[in-house]
Amino acid sequence: MRRRAAVASVIASAGVLIAGFQIGSAVTAARTPSTTGTGTAPGGSASNSGTSGGTSSGSTGTTGSSGSSGPAKDGTFTGATEQTPFGPMQVAAVISGGKITDVKVLQKTNQGGRSVQISNQADPMLRSEVLQAQSANVSMIGGATYTSEGYLMSLQAALDQAGFTG
Amino acid sequence: MTRATFETMGTVVSLEGAESPALLGAVRAVFDAADRRFSLYRPHSELRRIADGSLELLDSSAELREVYATALGWRGETGGAFTPHRPDGTVDLNGIVKAWAMAEAGRALGDGDWCLNVGGDVLVSGAAGSGAPWVVGIVDPADRTGLLTALPLVGGRRAAATSGSAERGDHIWTRGREAAEFVQVTVLADDIVTADVLATAIVSGGSTTLNDLTARFDVDVLTVARSGELRATPGIRELVTR
Repeated sequence: MRRRAAVASVIASAGVLIAGFQIGSAVTAARTPSTTGTGTAPGGSASNSGTSGGTSSGSTGTTGSSGSSGPAKDGTFTGATEQTPFGPMQVAAVISGGKITDVKVLQKTNQGGRSVQISNQADPMLRSEVLQAQSANVSMIGGATYTSEGYLMSLQAALDQAGFTG
Repeated sequence: MTRATFETMGTVVSLEGAESPALLGAVRAVFDAADRRFSLYRPHSELRRIADGSLELLDSSAELREVYATALGWRGETGGAFTPHRPDGTVDLNGIVKAWAMAEAGRALGDGDWCLNVGGDVLVSGAAGSGAPWVVGIVDPADRTGLLTALPLVGGRRAAATSGSAERGDHIWTRGREAAEFVQVTVLADDIVTADVLATAIVSGGSTTLNDLTARFDVDVLTVARSGELRATPGIRELVTR
């Protein structure tokens, strides 16, 4: 019973964790998602959601928490669907030998046609890191809009005059 | 591949891969028509006549109304960071017309291997001559004779748009009075209008808009702050470490 409940709780937490991570990545200040269920939340609240400030107050998943007793059975246990800013998210935990062996994402968000974007936040990057790409064979030059006069002094003009041979 | 350049809309177009004169002519026609209709600098352009009150917006061409409606849609999508209005209320479609015309030109060019650069914004199709992806060098805003990086357009990314707050000729109306936080913003997207509008919006709205838009849109972004600090989304990191 307790293990079963614990399993359900883990599934729910995984859902919250993922939802929280999504929310965290969408909120500017939250650089790293808080871990769930550890320590005491500010203000003494025993909340383990770890997603303060999130806009989603989705219900925690409890599917699979039936009243049966005994050790957790093998199988796949599905959490509830969480609403996130990126669309619905749903996870399932695979139990084998009483342990969670896998957590699967059942419903991926489809914002922009991509699968789950864990975080698309723009983070600081060093100049030396971006300069690695300099050796690539450049076809065109991108930059803030230049005027016709500005073009004459631009790298693009030099490239055009050089005549592209690629 | 052949490369052609011509002047339009106050800037210069560089086009590689338009193999026939007819195709090049079709592309020129798209930009010249857009310039005639949307320039605020031409005394009798349709948009100029709307600005000076001699033409009602409701009586304007379907094309102008379509572009204006698209721009208003983007104003909503960006929380107002992108807007087709000047602070005095004048309708200014400069922020979207170039990209809109590039998309039109892209349709005229069709499938195949070509690369179109209009004033620093790039739209590509297919591959470069060697069969490798098209690569866009991104100007270093601190030294415009140098490149910050070079980004290959791969995986459905066909467009690279760059907006800046320092360059003359750029019409970005920043919200608030303070200087823009980013001097240059590059956005890679699957289509040029999205890339261009979001680059403009991020320059206008700063990091709040940056974080909002990267979370909601399928785009890759590289920003250069006034301090010189760079920020990049994971997609850009992947590209530069390929």
